[in-house]
Amino acid sequence: MEQVALEAATHDVSLWALFMQAGLVVKLVMLGLIGASVWTWAIVIDKYISFGRARRQFDQFEQVFWSGQSLEELYRTLSERQNTGLGAIFVSAMREWKKSFERGARSPIGLQMRIDRAMDVTLAREAEHLTGRLSSLATIGSAGPFVGLFGTVIGIMTSFQAIAGSKSTNLAVVAPGIAEALLATAIGLVAAIPAVIAYNKFSGDAGKLSARMEGFADEFSAILSRQIDEKLQPRAAAQ
Amino acid sequence: MKGSVVASGILHGLLLAAALVSIGAPASFEVADVEALPVDIIPVESITQTQQGDEKAEMKEKAAPIPTTKPSTVENAENAGDNDVDLKSAPVPITKPSNIETAAAPEKVEKVLPQQDDVANEIKEIQQEQEAAASQEVALKTEPKEEVKPDPKPEVKAETTPEPTPTETAEEALPENVPVPVAKPLQEKKPEEKKTAEEKPTPETKKAEEKPVEKKKTETANKNSDDKSKEDKKKQETAKSKSSKQSDFNADDIASLLNKTDAKSTGAKRSTETAALGTKKTTGGSKLSQSEMDALRGQIENNWSVIAGIEGADGVVVRVTMKLDETGDIIGDPQVVASGGSETARRTLEGSALRAIMKSRPFKNLPRDKYDAWSEVVVNFDPSELL
Repeated sequence: MEQVALEAATHDVSLWALFMQAGLVVKLVMLGLIGASVWTWAIVIDKYISFGRARRQFDQFEQVFWSGQSLEELYRTLSERQNTGLGAIFVSAMREWKKSFERGARSPIGLQMRIDRAMDVTLAREAEHLTGRLSSLATIGSAGPFVGLFGTVIGIMTSFQAIAGSKSTNLAVVAPGIAEALLATAIGLVAAIPAVIAYNKFSGDAGKLSARMEGFADEFSAILSRQIDEKLQPRAAAQ
Repeated sequence: MKGSVVASGILHGLLLAAALVSIGAPASFEVADVEALPVDIIPVESITQTQQGDEKAEMKEKAAPIPTTKPSTVENAENAGDNDVDLKSAPVPITKPSNIETAAAPEKVEKVLPQQDDVANEIKEIQQEQEAAASQEVALKTEPKEEVKPDPKPEVKAETTPEPTPTETAEEALPENVPVPVAKPLQEKKPEEKKTAEEKPTPETKKAEEKPVEKKKTETANKNSDDKSKEDKKKQETAKSKSSKQSDFNADDIASLLNKTDAKSTGAKRSTETAALGTKKTTGGSKLSQSEMDALRGQIENNWSVIAGIEGADGVVVRVTMKLDETGDIIGDPQVVASGGSETARRTLEGSALRAIMKSRPFKNLPRDKYDAWSEVVVNFDPSELL
């Protein structure tokens, strides 16, 4: 440790030099924080793309859905591919509808309930897909500064120990150790600030999208319930 | 997700690379190149104990006063000088010719006198004339008492004064009065009297004609009265000069009154040095400075192993007197005297002090040029500070 401080008095203070001079714990903290930063930005990029795509899909689906196209036709085209968001909810509801009618459902109330359940499950899955990994953004945003501070405290501790060893309070001896320690806090903040901003933005977006999905689910449930009534009434009248 | 992680990783890598390249080491602060100000710590003795050399002499290694002329007469004298008795340089008053001092004074008084309207002086004059008149009265016995006894009023005095004074005695007294020493400031008084005597010669001749026998008596009596009048005049002079000094400030008088002393080398030890203006190096006096004394004390204290827990060691002060040669080694036996505290503590501390001194000989870092100051040195210790 003494060696580090004494070298620090003479060596340069570029970023790389500061990183290399740091102790093992501080180095690990810095590396962990850089990893967290990479992860944060990976999530940010991923969420940005996926949320944008989801919003576009929602718009397209709603356009198609309210275009007056036959639901059967729509189901046929959608069921052939992987669906997310509103499409997935629609497909799950339609699948349950089809199954019930193919086997000749008796009770309209039971059918309604099953369809609602199927839609709820899909809705929950989709919402989870939207908000997934946002929690890690929240964690990095809140814990990043603390981790960086931990690295700083450890770094300053070691540099003070080095001062005690070298028996010199010259600022040139003290300064590099503190600068290197503060680098850890800097990296922590670099990781945490975007994480906090991104978390707030994406959790808001996810809330909006899931509200949209719930709205669609309720609307579709209402439509299906009307359809059930319409289809089951003639049957009941015939009997 | 993989794609975004890779993208993020690449982004970070690029950013770090850019930071390493562009940020690098920050520019170090430019510290103004201030030239270090050299500071010398000079002992105050270098100013207070400077020695004055001969101004006309050349610079030499050692500053020396003017060489003495007489051969050595007093043995074991300590102070340089031409004196027979060895004295420290004591103040010696300047001996000036006395006539210079006195010559200036009378003129001053003369100028002041006519303007002076002092009551004391008038009274003195009256008294003097009264006495003179009285003496004449005794001798002549012819003059009426009314004339002699003047009222204290100035009018009466003006009438009476001319009559008793213009006797022959006044003329005879003149030659006696003239050679009065110069020290007497009031010389003008006599010409005045002379005038009065010349102006009114009639009563004088009358008296001379009428009573020639008694004239001798009057002469003798007047001689007596003259002596008296001299004394009175002296008194008057002093009174007048006093009043004149009170009124008129004369810088010359003050200067003559000042006790001018001349610092001379009054010792009896003959200086063998040739006169020199001084040296290029400052001597700094011949006294050990506080720091030099502390350094000496520190050398002893470093070698002093004080035994802790001596009973009655409080308040013990150890006084060490030792003679040193020029290498700092001790000559003879150093005297160690402890005072205060208990007997055993004193003895123990004396022993330990002596050991410390012997251990730390020869003493280092003593200024060579002040050897006179530390050739015999007294160091005081408070052992309780060492504990």
